[in-house]
Amino acid sequence: MKEYDVIIIGGGVTGAGVARDCAMRGLSTLLLERGDIADGASGRNHGLLHSGARYAVNDPEGARECIVENRILRHIASGCVEQTEGLFITLPEDSLEYQAQFVGKCRAAGIDAKAIDPKEALRMEPSVNPSLIGAVVVPDASVDPFRLVSANILDARLHGAEILTRHSVEGFIKEGVTIMGVKARDLSTGELKQFRAHYTINAAGIWGAGIAAMAGVRIGMLPAKGSLLVFGHRVNNMVINRCRKPSNADILVPGDVVCVIGTTSDKVPFEECDNMKVTPEEVKLLLEEGSKLAPGLASTRILRAYAGVRPLVADDSDPSGRSVSRGIVLLDHAKRDGIYGLVSITGGKLTTYRLMAEMTTDLICEKMSKNVRCTTALEPLPGSKGVRPSGQGLGSLAAFHRHGEDESKMDKDSEVLCECENVTRAEIAYAVRELGVKDMNDLRRRTRIGMGTCQGGFCMKKVAAALSEELGDGSKAEEFEMQYARERWKGMRPVMWGETLREAEYMRKMHAKK
Amino acid sequence: MQEHQISKADFEACMKCNICTEVCPMYEVNPLYQGPKKSGPDAERYRLKDPAFFDSNLKFCLNCKRCETACPSGVKVADIIQMAKLKYSSSTHPLRDTALSSTDLVGSVASVFAPAVNFALEQEVASKAMGLLGVDSHSVFPKYASEKFVTWFRRNARKSQDSFGSQVNYFHGCYVNYNNPQQGKDLVKILNACNVGVKLMKGEKCCGVAMMANGFRDRAAANAASNVEMFSKVDGPILCTSSTCAFTMRQEYPEVLGVDNSKVKDSIMLATKWLFEEVESGRIRLAFRQDFRMKVVYHIPCHLQRLGWQMYSIALMRMIPGLTLAVPEQECCGIAGTFGFKKEYAGYSRKIGSKLFENLRSANPQVVATDCETCRFQIEMGTPFTVMHPLAILAEALDIEITKELNETDN
Amino acid sequence: MKYDICIIGGGMSGTKAGVALLSRKKRASVCILSAGRTLNPTSREEFKRLGGDIFDNCRAVSSVMGENRVQAVVTDNDIRVEASAFVLSTGKFFSRGLLSDMDGVYEPVFGADVEFEADRSAWSSEDFFDPQPFESFGVRTEGSRVLKDGNVIENLYACGEILCGVVDVDKSVREVCRNIR
Repeated sequence: MKEYDVIIIGGGVTGAGVARDCAMRGLSTLLLERGDIADGASGRNHGLLHSGARYAVNDPEGARECIVENRILRHIASGCVEQTEGLFITLPEDSLEYQAQFVGKCRAAGIDAKAIDPKEALRMEPSVNPSLIGAVVVPDASVDPFRLVSANILDARLHGAEILTRHSVEGFIKEGVTIMGVKARDLSTGELKQFRAHYTINAAGIWGAGIAAMAGVRIGMLPAKGSLLVFGHRVNNMVINRCRKPSNADILVPGDVVCVIGTTSDKVPFEECDNMKVTPEEVKLLLEEGSKLAPGLASTRILRAYAGVRPLVADDSDPSGRSVSRGIVLLDHAKRDGIYGLVSITGGKLTTYRLMAEMTTDLICEKMSKNVRCTTALEPLPGSKGVRPSGQGLGSLAAFHRHGEDESKMDKDSEVLCECENVTRAEIAYAVRELGVKDMNDLRRRTRIGMGTCQGGFCMKKVAAALSEELGDGSKAEEFEMQYARERWKGMRPVMWGETLREAEYMRKMHAKK
Repeated sequence: MQEHQISKADFEACMKCNICTEVCPMYEVNPLYQGPKKSGPDAERYRLKDPAFFDSNLKFCLNCKRCETACPSGVKVADIIQMAKLKYSSSTHPLRDTALSSTDLVGSVASVFAPAVNFALEQEVASKAMGLLGVDSHSVFPKYASEKFVTWFRRNARKSQDSFGSQVNYFHGCYVNYNNPQQGKDLVKILNACNVGVKLMKGEKCCGVAMMANGFRDRAAANAASNVEMFSKVDGPILCTSSTCAFTMRQEYPEVLGVDNSKVKDSIMLATKWLFEEVESGRIRLAFRQDFRMKVVYHIPCHLQRLGWQMYSIALMRMIPGLTLAVPEQECCGIAGTFGFKKEYAGYSRKIGSKLFENLRSANPQVVATDCETCRFQIEMGTPFTVMHPLAILAEALDIEITKELNETDN
Repeated sequence: MKYDICIIGGGMSGTKAGVALLSRKKRASVCILSAGRTLNPTSREEFKRLGGDIFDNCRAVSSVMGENRVQAVVTDNDIRVEASAFVLSTGKFFSRGLLSDMDGVYEPVFGADVEFEADRSAWSSEDFFDPQPFESFGVRTEGSRVLKDGNVIENLYACGEILCGVVDVDKSVREVCRNIR
């Protein structure tokens, strides 16, 4: 049996980043993901590339990490990042004293924060609440989390890593106190497989507690649900934050052609992590608070609601388990628990995923006595090297926005299938060929298919047929269509009134005929 | 909160049903044009992200508004497209477009030299010169009248208007003033017979529709602001005979040009609507000639259909005893204002019109009735039929003397 | 504009009702107010052939009421239509016969009584392919006449998808025709 240097459990941004780093440093690498990449919290957040400003007052170290990584990602992940910049606005009910303290703390953390005249803020970002009394510009940006994970996975593969999605870890191969590999079920065939490795890295986010438990290790985790709303178009072009103590629904992020308001924060039981629901109260709160940032939100259609789980880690130093550790948590279970061959990486933020991967890979290399330097901060990711699209038309331009220079690998003059998001048949073929797409939801995460105004109502039949053809199994079209309708429905339900209710009725007429 | 999800031009309300694409006359004849849904609400989301998503083929949009008329969701599809064009595109024929858009300026020069201009318009040399300028050489350019409507009005009508029982304001527009004063004279004739005086407004400017269509947003907005200001100073209804002028001033001023017309909007109306409502309420009574006979096919202009007021013209014509009226399903004539006069579009324009021409030929009426001046040019170019405004037909059919008697006030 | 019968909504049920009414009452003047484009060319053509008028691109937005009676409806483009009887056939949500916001469901032209679930999370079912409660929301009627504040509006009839419950469009059209005298 093949023995890998490392097995990484979890295909979120952390796992993807670790896989890339390990592969680039020449380790033989396998990544196992029980669903699809970016399926968990990595695909269910704001898509905010933090400048660190939000953490400057309460968590200076986190802030410093963010600004360093922010600068790195603007360079290596330019295809995933939009250099929108951000505003922290002070409203009449907030305090300008806090703003002054905030600017000082930002500067101390190395974040270029500049207080500007509120009128200037309105000029820069016309959607902002005109009653603002203070504004600070910070180097926040917008990052597409799906693309970021996909680009890391793609690059890991290009550097020799193996990626297996739909492989659920069910146990460890344990010899004494040493983890020698994992037992994972291939969910598409039902087969239980064994994979051996010198080191196993647990990067499974909130599900990492369960993974660790299989190895007999306890990680105290507190799942915290964060709900967000997606609006029909870009209301704002800059990230807008409230300049106050971090609170509910105080960040509005433009992401691709939509904008996202979030989040709420509520502790939830572990059982809910796999099927989170956004409640009417959360929707109301997000709208009320969001409209204070940009009043235009009150009259903009909401496409859907979703929720992710923050993997908050209980501080090891607090026996009560109530206090939460800040920042990145890298656990060497050999040192911590006397279990060898297992490392857990958790905590942290989307913005600091690369640093987390670097720290993890450094630890593994140290254990393997391999002296290879990390280069992930220098080498641009795939899709971040393009200058202009090679094809003509909106489909090619949109594909270029999504895949950078890899747009040139798609057939030209291809028919646009998803008209809301300008996804062509050729982009679907490319995603199947190169990005490991196995079903409609995978396809959505790689291409934005069905993420637009009609939520797939118009195109899902055509797309399902095209996808099953590309996968070489034409019989799957109907199953794909049903899978997609169910998945979109879930996100539409919490906001199903007004135009979304109209769309829902229409979608049912089109796709739910008995 | 969230009671009206009404972002600009209601583009959030698009359900992607594609009815607009189905009714788009340009989409049917031109594979380069993506159709209203894709050009409007779909692409708008992407243009908001990056102006590079502006597709220059939006120039093919006729702004006929059939997409908006068909939309079950109230999305102002064509407005979204017009606003994108005004924001992102620049003209490839600046001189020609300036000339075509300046219906008032060109008109006022042309009418001074009307016989010469008309002669020139008919000559081959002129046709070639216009070709160089980018004007389609097959187009028959509308002729200019030698006496402007306002001049005629000042000389022949103005003094007597105060003597009638009540007064209305008349927005004559460029076409009546320079090309077809008869249409204005017909209105004056009808209204005066009904004991209603007609007043022209001081400082009337071109409604601006041709400027908008040719990308001159600022000039159009300046005209709009000036007209709205003028309207706010007059009492009583403001009547138009041109469906496009009325449509532009009611809908496009606020929605495309951002000029607030809310205080005057309700006063701006089509003469046909106003007249019908007066008749229906009994305030005005009409009498028609016993010997009048006419077989008419009514062509509903796209912009009138967008206003939704086509039924008033139909209802007025139905009052005329000797008139037989047929109203086929609405088709676009294809001219779209100045669009059909441009060399690069004229082929599409004729192709779009061919369905209408076919329908008209098979109906074979004596007269085609329509409220729009540019539909009229197009139908005259494409068919052998005489084209008349419904009010011109009414003026001809009216028994002036009896009508006058019926409307004389007792006191 | 004055008609004997004014049908509000030019969709399937509205045009069918128009044809049925004109077939029974040959001398009646009947009009249809139609927002957007009517999608059923056959009954549209038939209705026009029988002498009916279609007001294309005219959406009824408000009504003028008398003692439990509708006197007139007014469209979004300022057309006022008077009639002795009105037929409400504006459909459900897609066609905007019913409007909804975060808190409830409304019938916009007359403020008719609407049957719907008070709790918004119960408007839809979890599975897309299950029956959806919102699909049986609609106006309440008594003998095809519309209720408002619990009282019958004497000359306002409803047919088609705007009705609450499980709707048989053709049956509801027949009932309206039978009930309009």
